[in-house]
Amino acid sequence: MKPLKLLALIIIPLGIILAAVPADKTKRFRLSADELLQEAGAGAQFISPDVVADMLVQKDPSLQLIDVRTPEEFEAFSLTGAINIPLSNLLSNEFTDILNQDVRMNVFYSNGSVTANEAWMLTRQMGYKNNFVLEGGLNYWFGNILSAQAPSQTSPNEEFAKYDFRKSASAALGGGGVVAAEGAATAPKAAKPAVASKAKKKPAGGC
Amino acid sequence: MGPLAPNGIISENTNFLLAFFIGIGFGWVLESSGFSSSRKLAGIFYGYDAVVLKVFFTGAITCMIGLLFMSLFGWIDLDLVYVNPTYLTSAIVGGVIMGAGFIMGGFCPGTSFTGAAIGKIDGMVFVLGLFIGIYGFAFTYPLWEKMYMAKYLGEPKISQSLGMKDGLFGLLLILAALGMFAVAEWAERKFPREEY
Amino acid sequence: MSNISKTERSKKYLNPYLGGVLLGLVLLAANFIAGRGLGASGAIKSVVATSIEAVNKNAINTMPFMAEYAQSHSGSPMRSWLVFEMLGVLVGGFISGAIAGRLKLKVEHSPKITSRRRLVFALIGGTLFGFGSQLGRGCTSGAALSGMGVLSLGGFITMMGIFGTAYALAYFFRKNWI
Repeated sequence: MKPLKLLALIIIPLGIILAAVPADKTKRFRLSADELLQEAGAGAQFISPDVVADMLVQKDPSLQLIDVRTPEEFEAFSLTGAINIPLSNLLSNEFTDILNQDVRMNVFYSNGSVTANEAWMLTRQMGYKNNFVLEGGLNYWFGNILSAQAPSQTSPNEEFAKYDFRKSASAALGGGGVVAAEGAATAPKAAKPAVASKAKKKPAGGC
Repeated sequence: MGPLAPNGIISENTNFLLAFFIGIGFGWVLESSGFSSSRKLAGIFYGYDAVVLKVFFTGAITCMIGLLFMSLFGWIDLDLVYVNPTYLTSAIVGGVIMGAGFIMGGFCPGTSFTGAAIGKIDGMVFVLGLFIGIYGFAFTYPLWEKMYMAKYLGEPKISQSLGMKDGLFGLLLILAALGMFAVAEWAERKFPREEY
Repeated sequence: MSNISKTERSKKYLNPYLGGVLLGLVLLAANFIAGRGLGASGAIKSVVATSIEAVNKNAINTMPFMAEYAQSHSGSPMRSWLVFEMLGVLVGGFISGAIAGRLKLKVEHSPKITSRRRLVFALIGGTLFGFGSQLGRGCTSGAALSGMGVLSLGGFITMMGIFGTAYALAYFFRKNWI
């Protein structure tokens, strides 16, 4: 039979199949359950609030705080320079650029550390790196950084060093008070829109 | 799970080695299909030889069908496959200039290499022209920079911008191509030219 | 009788549809293995970049077009996927031509024009194509063919530009071909 007819006979059915099958929009898991369990158990994703406080004071540009609570909670109070990605929106395509990159250090935080850790587990399973969890969340932050307690006289020197650091950090970060709302007064209120970062692992090609 | 190199399954060096073999396949198929002959290449524009149309579209469609099916079976992650970016202005202007080059030179870069490989001097001269053209562009770049970067639309797929599924667009493309093939075959019979 | 069939056989090409399917499979392999499609003009760009760098090491950084290219390629610009691919194209084309008996050093031109005229047009055509391929971010292999294979809008637009213009200008250059 004529080659053209033969070709048509083959590719038209293939095309019909492709047109009929629904598009696959699922996001694939990159890590196996075992791998994720190991990493979660090791707890390396937690980052100490002292380290974060230091980075904030130094205005370290590689830090990106991500508030995974609801927008209302974010409006009420947020950490300096944080952006809001509620946990329910975490898998949306508009945030993929921010969550999947290797330039900045993303630190998830929530009131405790449960929600933030959930965010970490989800993004880790998608194979994203450079995402961390603020240890203790905002609760620990208020109690120990913003309103640092003076250690008792018998505490070791490191405790005093920590206290000094936290006191100056809290002053720089607008803490000092006990209540959360006051801290918000000095922190920039405008919710930063999530801007796509340029650094992405994109395939090269062209020409 | 593909694609292999972006997923780190093969090293960069392996990727380059395989590129060489893929190139061999590419050159072989081009030459076997007659793309080493500028006369055959120009034929589509005068009706007497539709080889360019048939090979080109069949090739694009075969690849497209292959990629979509592989994606269905989960053998390849299409998000990691390079999709050419769309810079509207320079895409059109570049295309127009290349079209002029095509009808005058009777080759395109890939086929000119293939022609040169079998001894076609006009192919070799075409390659020389390619160098001149690219040097020229590089040295006069500031003049074109604005046009080159204008109207960046990202990396949209045709199906996306038409608002339809990839698979549906694929079917439409297949039907359109088959229609073009039928017309081209009619033209080949109507405007024959002797081989030389 | 056998003389005629020998010439016919030496010029015998693959059925174009079969050639197209094979080409599509090569392109598919490239996408699966390297995550990118085929290309040609980019390899020439690599050679151009390397030569500029060889003549004057700093020149490449002062030329904005080449600088962004040099940055995205660690090591020498020649260590590029396309350079290896085009070397393969030369080999593949040669082997195919050798097997089919098509190896011959000649200028292919219509009997109605001189070979000098053909070469002049080949040079002009190549220059235009080289220039245009940089603007279009690819040539027929990279932008049009590979672009269509992944359904790229930019590739499709460039392809329309190439073929549309060639058709539009075909009348003016017909003497060269028919």
